[in-house]
Order: sequence, then C-alpha cells, then structure tokens
Amino acid sequence: MAPSLDPEQLDRYSRQIVLESVGPDGQDRLLDSAVLVVGVGGLGSPVIQYLAAAGIGRLGLVDGDVVERSNLQRQIIHGIDDVGRPKVDSGAEFVADLNPNVTVETDETALSAENATELIEGYDVVVDATDNFPARFLVNDACTLTGTPFVHGAVYRFEGQVTTFDGTGPCYRCLFPSAPPEDAIPDCATAGVLGVVPGTIGTIQATETIKHLLEIGESLNGRVLHYDAKTMDVESVPLKARPECPICGDQPAVDSIQAITYEGDCAIPE
Amino acid sequence: MDVTWKLFATLGEAAGDTEVTVTVSDDATVAKALDSLFEKYPAVAEEARAENGSIYEHVRTLHEGEDVENPLDSDRGVAAGDELALFPPVSGG
Repeated sequence: MAPSLDPEQLDRYSRQIVLESVGPDGQDRLLDSAVLVVGVGGLGSPVIQYLAAAGIGRLGLVDGDVVERSNLQRQIIHGIDDVGRPKVDSGAEFVADLNPNVTVETDETALSAENATELIEGYDVVVDATDNFPARFLVNDACTLTGTPFVHGAVYRFEGQVTTFDGTGPCYRCLFPSAPPEDAIPDCATAGVLGVVPGTIGTIQATETIKHLLEIGESLNGRVLHYDAKTMDVESVPLKARPECPICGDQPAVDSIQAITYEGDCAIPE
Repeated sequence: MDVTWKLFATLGEAAGDTEVTVTVSDDATVAKALDSLFEKYPAVAEEARAENGSIYEHVRTLHEGEDVENPLDSDRGVAAGDELALFPPVSGG
C-alpha cells in the first residue's frame, strides 16, 4: 500500500514512523484501523488517550454512565467540568482536542445482549474496559462468536489482570467458565482501587491493541499478565483453550449471545 | 517438605499474604497441598470453596505454571519447593 500521509501527519507521528517495525506503512495501517472501547472509565481513559494519540483512524466509545466526582481519581480523560455529562461525550471531546485525525463514534448505552453484536461490528479490535462480570462475559461471547479480537483488562485494589484474545480461542470462558457469586469479588466502588492501577493496566491494553494492529511482537494471547502494584511483581499465568469450552471449543454449545443470560453466574445454558 | 502457594486478589487478602508456605508429606499431591493450605488458612478455604466443598469454577488452580483440573481429586505429585497458585478473576475498571 502506498503511504498516504500528509506533511502534518508525518510530523505528528514521526517518533513512531521512525521505528523500523512501524514506518509510514504501519502508520497508514493505524489510520485505517477501527477500535471499539467498551467502558470510558478507569481502564478506558488511558486506552482512549494512547489510541487517539497513536492515530487510530476510528475510535468507538460505548458507556451509558455519566461522569461522577469520585471517578476523577482514576478516570483521567474527564475533568471537574464534565461531572454530570455522559462519559462518551467527555471522552469524544478529549479525543477531538488531542487528535483531529481520529473519527469518534459514541454510543451512550450499556453493552447488552441485544446491542453487543451490532456495536462491535465493523471494528478490528475491541477493548474490554468494563467494570463488571456480566459485561466482561458479554464482550467475550460477542467477540468470540464473531471472531473479533479483543483485549481484556480488569483491576482490583492494587492488582490488575490483562490479556489478549485473538477471537478464535482460548477465550475468557476458558480462563473462567462462569462468574463468581455476587459480592464474592467486590467491584471498585466496594473494594476501592488505587487510581494509577487501571492506568497501568489500560496502558498495557492500548499497547496490545497497537501491537495487534501492526502485527508486531508477541501478544498476550495464551497467557494472562497479573500485576501487583504493592510488590511490583508481574506474573504470567498460562491460558490454554479448553476443547469443551461452550463458546470457543470444538463443539460450541451456543452460536448466539441471545441464548445466554448476562446476570448472576452468566453460565451457558446446558 | 514445604511447598509455596501464590494467592491472588481476594485469596491473598484472605491469607494476609500473597505468598505462603505450607508443609506437606513427601508423597503429597496437589489435592493434599490444597488440603494443607485450607487447613492452615481457613479464610482462604472460605473464599475458594463453594458450599458443597468443591473449588469454585471461577478459581483456577495452577501447579508449576500449569492448570490443574479438578484439583481436589488431583493425584498429580508435588515436590519440595514447588509453586502452586490459586487465581480468581477480578472485574473492576
């Protein structure tokens, strides 16, 4: 493909274009790419910042919430004047300020079994920056059943987990077949979270997304990175596809997310 | 002999440490190493086991970096100094 970068783009992206494994063709590829970020919060903030800065051509933002004051400790694309505004609007404004090369599409809605497949259609990669188990199983199932690669990240207090799924398996259900009982693993509102932890994990998600689009390096597919901010230990936990996985296995139990109820343990019906 | 358990997220909090050592017999298995862990740290058992005594489906058991299926029935042998782990999911964002 013939690079089509204008002088302003050659300047803006010069520090990555100069990288041998990116180059003008790689930058062109990023500008031609589309990434959907589900969740415009603690994880979504750094994801959106770095993907916009890198020149991803089209960014989709999905979130049904409005900005709250208690978000600002970690959701760093929102400011005090954004409190009460839809997060997708605040996020879109941030991207427009940073990089007008990026087209932003917003959906002020929570991901659901009804809208998930339609929302992810047309995107090269989905970033799971959600904050609850039902949404995470929904992203997994919708992406895996449509063969869409996605990058998973999740945080708890001082810890984070991050991995990449290529859309063919293993999938998140190979790692965790069902969700824990309610309240077994408390969310950020209940358990608390050090604000910079989703910053670290979200930044790794953005890194994985860019690597995937450029086809460079070794992705996290097949392993889950666990990060502990207190000890600064990083562990890599292996992840194998389960042949009996009901979503990505040899004989999937379902072929549509409509068959699954995304509440409680989010289990696949027998 | 001693083996090490790495405990992530809620399980590390239940034990009060992210890495603990338990003593097991020389012919111990993963199942026995789990028994020793749960005996020494009942709060970890509380978090990792369902009411029927099985390990929750959402908690993964690893031995030397490999997945162990049905860990409470596992006759996979462990050696002195081996590293085992219990890994639950987290969901915050």
